[in-house]
Amino acid sequence: MTTLSLSRTAGLARANATLVVRNKLTLTYAVVIPLAPLLLLLLGDSGDGSNGAGAAAIVTALMMAALFPVFYNLLSQLVTRRDELVLKRLRTGESTDAEIIASLALPGLVIALATALVAVPFAMLLGQPAPLNPLLYALTVVVTLLLFAAFALWTAAWTKNAEAAQITSMPVILLAVLGQVAIGFPDEVRRFTDLTPGAAMTDLVRVSWFGFGTDDVERTLDFAGTWSAAGQPLLVLVAWAAVAIYLARRSMRWEPRS
Amino acid sequence: MTTSAPPDLHIEVRGLRRSYGTGTTAFEAVRGVDLVVEPGTVVALLGTNGAGKTSALEVVEGLAPPTAGEVRVLGLDPVADRAEVRRRTGVLLQTSGFPADLTVGETLRMWSATMTAPRPVEDALAELDLTDRVDVSVRSLSGGELRRLDLACTLLGEPEVVLLDEPTTGLDPESRRRVWDLVARLRDRGCSVLLTTHHLEEAETLADRVAIMHAGRIVREGTPAQLGADHPSTIRFEGAAPAGLPDLAGLTAVRRVAADHGRTTIESDDLQATLTALLAAAADGGVRLAGLEARSATLESVFLAIASGAHTDDRALEGADR
Repeated sequence: MTTLSLSRTAGLARANATLVVRNKLTLTYAVVIPLAPLLLLLLGDSGDGSNGAGAAAIVTALMMAALFPVFYNLLSQLVTRRDELVLKRLRTGESTDAEIIASLALPGLVIALATALVAVPFAMLLGQPAPLNPLLYALTVVVTLLLFAAFALWTAAWTKNAEAAQITSMPVILLAVLGQVAIGFPDEVRRFTDLTPGAAMTDLVRVSWFGFGTDDVERTLDFAGTWSAAGQPLLVLVAWAAVAIYLARRSMRWEPRS
Repeated sequence: MTTSAPPDLHIEVRGLRRSYGTGTTAFEAVRGVDLVVEPGTVVALLGTNGAGKTSALEVVEGLAPPTAGEVRVLGLDPVADRAEVRRRTGVLLQTSGFPADLTVGETLRMWSATMTAPRPVEDALAELDLTDRVDVSVRSLSGGELRRLDLACTLLGEPEVVLLDEPTTGLDPESRRRVWDLVARLRDRGCSVLLTTHHLEEAETLADRVAIMHAGRIVREGTPAQLGADHPSTIRFEGAAPAGLPDLAGLTAVRRVAADHGRTTIESDDLQATLTALLAAAADGGVRLAGLEARSATLESVFLAIASGAHTDDRALEGADR
């Protein structure tokens, strides 16, 4: 079922947002963790480009936004609501499957998008440059968030309960952080880690916002150059998104195994 | 979506089969069910646990496709025409849940926001006697209140067809009576109701027609009175047949005589005629029949006969009244 009614989706999403706000731990994970890395900008390079700390802070904030309000929040909601038979009950109403999923993902997506948006003036206020290619930056954010939402749906399919999600979320978390962790690794290893979604997203933010070439910590690209430099990581990110969406569609479960 | 004149039948099930698993683990839960629900009537699908009631109902609800056979709700396919069918149908699952941190009012407003033409939430709260619980969180509700909230969601869109899977299971007697009153009001409004239950009294009280399921098939169907009429009445007394009585099997309209657990049971196709003959014979022989009791056939006796395995023989199933 692919049709999407905005009013129905908004009605369900409003209730889901209420649930996120009402649960203090979920709210902390969803809001504080993505925003906290931006505070590193206060201690960073103040835009002089000497060590790339500003880029690292922004990349980390975006990765946390993809991992916590989007991936982990959606994963735990899907598993919990499925176990409580809430999802099955919702499917007996007028809402389509797509609306139910979209409404669960929307609160986290809004928080993550807000983080990506707030990061721009906040970073500029602290001396960082404006994004060199805002369109590429926006595209990177949107594809990354969709990818991690799809990862949540797929992971939920083989996650037995909310406790198990702490373990089953690990492969996706590893795929997300490996790109950043592997920056100091030898080139032979980097060839493989560059193919992870985390590495692709890191490269795309560095290219689109700062105009950094590979491993650079100062601007070496112009606007046109950002598009060509973004080719491979964008392809990697889109490929991961396509695989994740395919897996999510194939494996979606609406009620616990009997 | 199929467009056609208003259907004569609100629910029509033909040759429905539903299987789980594949290969050696395959299990056929529904084995060729035919069932119809006419507008403005209540049909009860009665059966023991595991009879296939919920498996059949889930197909009617559009939650699962049939393995074979055809299901129409309001003349539409509940899977292919899901949007139209859901708009006009209310579904109550056997067990379901709502987010525990929402209040009763928030839950109903959330549900209302997903509907094309909901009635006011306040009306639904009042009908299900939940008005004073509107600000209470779902996690704090009793089992009966939770079931009433579930029913309120089911009826929020003023459905033409209502599908209730064991609506009173787990409810106390007072709550059960309230649900029965509600179902009666739905019928009075012109709704069609298909409900599953294993409470015989519920089926006898509510249903215009009863279909008894056993081992994936409907083995009896009719009005409660018709089902009873098909089944023998019983006369029982304590001990074996006393000397002085004629051969009991030779009495008028006797179908069978059995002695078990220290009691004699006479099954009769005409209770009044057999009882009159028995009492006359007892009077003639000067015999006193201790613990004498006579009962017309009830849904219970029909159901128990089926549940005890009287209809597990496939030939009996094929010959049974569908």
